[in-house]
Amino acid sequence: MTKKNKPKKISPAKMFVYILLTIASILSIFPLYWMFVMATNENSAINSVPPAFIPGAELVTNFTNVINTIDFFGAVWNSLIVSSVITIGVLFLCSLAGFAFAKFNFKGKNILFIAILVTMMIPPQLGLIPQYIIITKLDWLNDLKAIIVPGMIDAFGIFWMRQYISSNVPDELVDAAKMDGCTNFRVYWNIAVPVIIPAFATLAIIKFMYVWNDFLWPLVVLRDQSSYTIQVALRGLIDNYVRDNGMILSGTFWATVPLIIVFLLLNRLFISSLTEGAVKS
Amino acid sequence: MAQVQTQEQRQIPPSKKKSFFSEKKKEAISGYLYISPFFILFAIFGLFPILFSFYLGFQKWNGLGAMEYVGFQNFKWILTDPLFWKSLTNTLYMWVLGTIPQLIIGIILAYALNSTLIKAKSFFRVSIFMPYVTSTVAVAIVFGIMFNNQDFGLVNIIVGLFGVDTISWGTTEWGVKVAISTMVFWRWVGYNTIIYLAGLQGIPNDLYEAATIDGATIRQKIQYITIPMLRPIIILTVFTSTIGALQLFTEPLIFIGRTYREEGITVVLYLYREAFTNLAFGPASAAAIILFFIIIIISSINVFIANRIGR
Amino acid sequence: MRKWLMLVVFSMLVVALFACSDDSSTSDDGSNDSDESTSDSGSNDDEASSEEAVTLDFSVFGSTGYDVLIEEYQELNPNVTINLNEGEMADVHNNLFTAISAGSGAPDIGMIEVSEVAKFMQASDRFYNLNDYGAGDVAGNFLEWKWQQAQSVDGAFQLGLPTDIGPTTMFYRTDVIEAAGFPTDPEELAAEIDTWDAYYEAAKTIKAETGKPIADAPELVFNALRDQNDQQYFNEEDELIIEDTVKEAYDYTTKMIEEGLIGENQLWTPEWGSAMVDGSYATMPGAPGWMVANVKGNAPDAGGKWSLTTIPEGAGNWGGSFLTIPKESEQPQEAYDFIAWLTAPEQQLKSFHNNGLFPSAPSVYEDEEFLATTDEYFSGAPTAKIFADAAKSVKPVYMGVNYSIVNTAITEALANVASGGADPQEEWETLVKNIETQLERQ
Repeated sequence: MTKKNKPKKISPAKMFVYILLTIASILSIFPLYWMFVMATNENSAINSVPPAFIPGAELVTNFTNVINTIDFFGAVWNSLIVSSVITIGVLFLCSLAGFAFAKFNFKGKNILFIAILVTMMIPPQLGLIPQYIIITKLDWLNDLKAIIVPGMIDAFGIFWMRQYISSNVPDELVDAAKMDGCTNFRVYWNIAVPVIIPAFATLAIIKFMYVWNDFLWPLVVLRDQSSYTIQVALRGLIDNYVRDNGMILSGTFWATVPLIIVFLLLNRLFISSLTEGAVKS
Repeated sequence: MAQVQTQEQRQIPPSKKKSFFSEKKKEAISGYLYISPFFILFAIFGLFPILFSFYLGFQKWNGLGAMEYVGFQNFKWILTDPLFWKSLTNTLYMWVLGTIPQLIIGIILAYALNSTLIKAKSFFRVSIFMPYVTSTVAVAIVFGIMFNNQDFGLVNIIVGLFGVDTISWGTTEWGVKVAISTMVFWRWVGYNTIIYLAGLQGIPNDLYEAATIDGATIRQKIQYITIPMLRPIIILTVFTSTIGALQLFTEPLIFIGRTYREEGITVVLYLYREAFTNLAFGPASAAAIILFFIIIIISSINVFIANRIGR
Repeated sequence: MRKWLMLVVFSMLVVALFACSDDSSTSDDGSNDSDESTSDSGSNDDEASSEEAVTLDFSVFGSTGYDVLIEEYQELNPNVTINLNEGEMADVHNNLFTAISAGSGAPDIGMIEVSEVAKFMQASDRFYNLNDYGAGDVAGNFLEWKWQQAQSVDGAFQLGLPTDIGPTTMFYRTDVIEAAGFPTDPEELAAEIDTWDAYYEAAKTIKAETGKPIADAPELVFNALRDQNDQQYFNEEDELIIEDTVKEAYDYTTKMIEEGLIGENQLWTPEWGSAMVDGSYATMPGAPGWMVANVKGNAPDAGGKWSLTTIPEGAGNWGGSFLTIPKESEQPQEAYDFIAWLTAPEQQLKSFHNNGLFPSAPSVYEDEEFLATTDEYFSGAPTAKIFADAAKSVKPVYMGVNYSIVNTAITEALANVASGGADPQEEWETLVKNIETQLERQ
């Protein structure tokens, strides 16, 4: 990571780290690999004994079946919109709120912060019907707004940003900037934001993936095929009584590919911001 | 953009004394302003559903007809239902089995990923995060195959190597819990690793370097630098994963499906079944309220303990 | 570098916002369109409605192949546009439930599966009574038991028009049956195993000759027996009557489990699917028409090793759906005209040929081409005829709104006996207690 400490010898510690990470990677990557295997096999290969472990020849057939059954690309586009807008909105709103909680003093701060934490403790499953009623009153049914606007509520994001900012943005810097006459927003923008880019990248990854894979809520408010996000559309691949797992997993696999691309992009951001930070310190 | 900024910066300092509000007041106003979007949005989309749940806890309602006030009857039902207590103990067991190892392994993996020793970090980071990316459909199928009840199932073959008899993962008391906990562990360990990693990367390297010069061992570095610097993040993960574990829903639903088997039913699964399968929204809401208070108690205890870590 | 990054992030935000507002405006337009057409048709209801442009939202689950039939209907009725939305079965039902619970967002036509009918029947005030639109005139087109499934107990209210059905038969492995010394011809085998006593005796023979159980999933044996009762879990007053009705079926099944004559697989698990390949059991009783695709999908290479025949002592029904019109619809007459056309015998026959939906209209069973349907995979058996015979022998049953609570409990008990070796009588007592706890809360 830094050029300053370069160990020369291959220590047992290094070996251990490699072995540990390799095992963890294999265990983690296995389901994705298997998803690909099944996406390229016939349905029967999945339920056979032993199940298929190597990719088969049905890659094109399975994906053609997917495209013939659902509007795959339209749904991916909807998902991209929803996930990007929510992610960007959440990054901005949560970092701003997190910054306020970490660095400002105002009356009732602690109680308000605890209030945010308490909102996380309520099991969301029952809220479905009342929330749906609100959406119908707003006339947002079949509208991506129904996902995007409530999606901006992210108690975890605020908590995360507050924790990160409180331990990584030094108070002295904030005070110094204020001495120079920076407005509060400018302190946030010029002092806090550059320091917390790793936190942004992390939250962006988590949020983007979460929104992309979420289906319970979209399922309830998106009822017209043209508004489906990808996870809702993919459920259309599941038949009442007969399951073509090859086709289902083909759709699932190709719906995961954009996620991996986004992850790799954000990962770069992650790394570049770190090198910068390291050089600075 | 850069130009605009410098211009503005130049203009700002003189205006300081002309300020209408005191510095303190300005800070408070900004503070309220910055946190207001959450509360406004929450008031619209979050508060009403919650109040509705609390209200429903005292009603008899099947989701369709009129409601009928029944007082504390729903709470009485829930608290005297052995299945509710079973679901609560199941949830607690799975919290211990799935969440605690998850946090510990998460820290270890993050530490390894952050160490200066290794190459191909990007690859490892991507792989370890993969389970979080994988959709629930795939997870359901993969785990269904791995935790096959028969002796040819993958996990049964593995435990067979250690001389353990074939386990019926789908129907036995501990089989179900271990299978679901494994799934929870597997799905969330990468997620926590990423969070810890971001936290670790906020720790300046010179701290470690100074410690190295002073002759500190790795263990000492972890104990005196990493853990204290990471404490805010550890508190965060303990808090959120405790809540997540007590609200465990998706994984058991995937694993035991809609059979709601007793061995794997969690509190949220229990209330979900009451509401949407049995159409007993009143008792379901009562269960949600009870769970809400349990979560408050348990997370307070947790944060209290986590707060002492490394002190 | 950082400023550059922020710039990128912000331009992304702008693009995304534009894309978003763009999209929402188009979907707004879409809903405006349908609103207009709604109000139009509402105001001119009594005039020649065939002139008016009508849009019907139609939500279905599974592969119905209705898109083809919709095109045909739209050609016949150019003023009608049908907007088909396909989803997963549980999702479609949950969405319909939230919509009628909240009083907004229901489609003009909603598909409901038979197991969910009772739940929606409770909310019959949120649906049009199809009898008001002339459903009584077409009742004779359908099997009586199927028609009654979507009818109120007094017969006054008709919730939906029948689509497909799932009459049950018994699939069997010809290789295992032959090895045990039984005839592999469907009719001869049905003659040999014509009662449940004979089934039990056959199970013992098969076990002795091949070492294999006669069936692998306890649930299927239980279901087959249960379906031969004209009363099952509840009577028409919604009282739990399982002690008098299905306890016998439970005892029969658990006895065979304990004697090792029935396996322990649970439905829909991978091990259940893989058992279809290797023929580790002899018969699969209670298998409806759609199970054909399941077996073929799991065991594509086992063609010729499977066949099917009638179940001893009569068939049951598993699955099938109805088309309903929620009260929210502002064009019930047009919606009814469409579903009446869609469920008419001619269209049901097309659905059978296109997508294998088994028809609920008995007149189709007389069709020559229909009767001639055989399946090489099932050793050339006349599948359509066997399913049609089964369909005619199904008894009408009052299921009751809490059917699934009881069913889940019994399935769990059977699994406990089969794979955990639990005591059947203790399990029964527990399940009765559990069911009663859940029932008293509603």
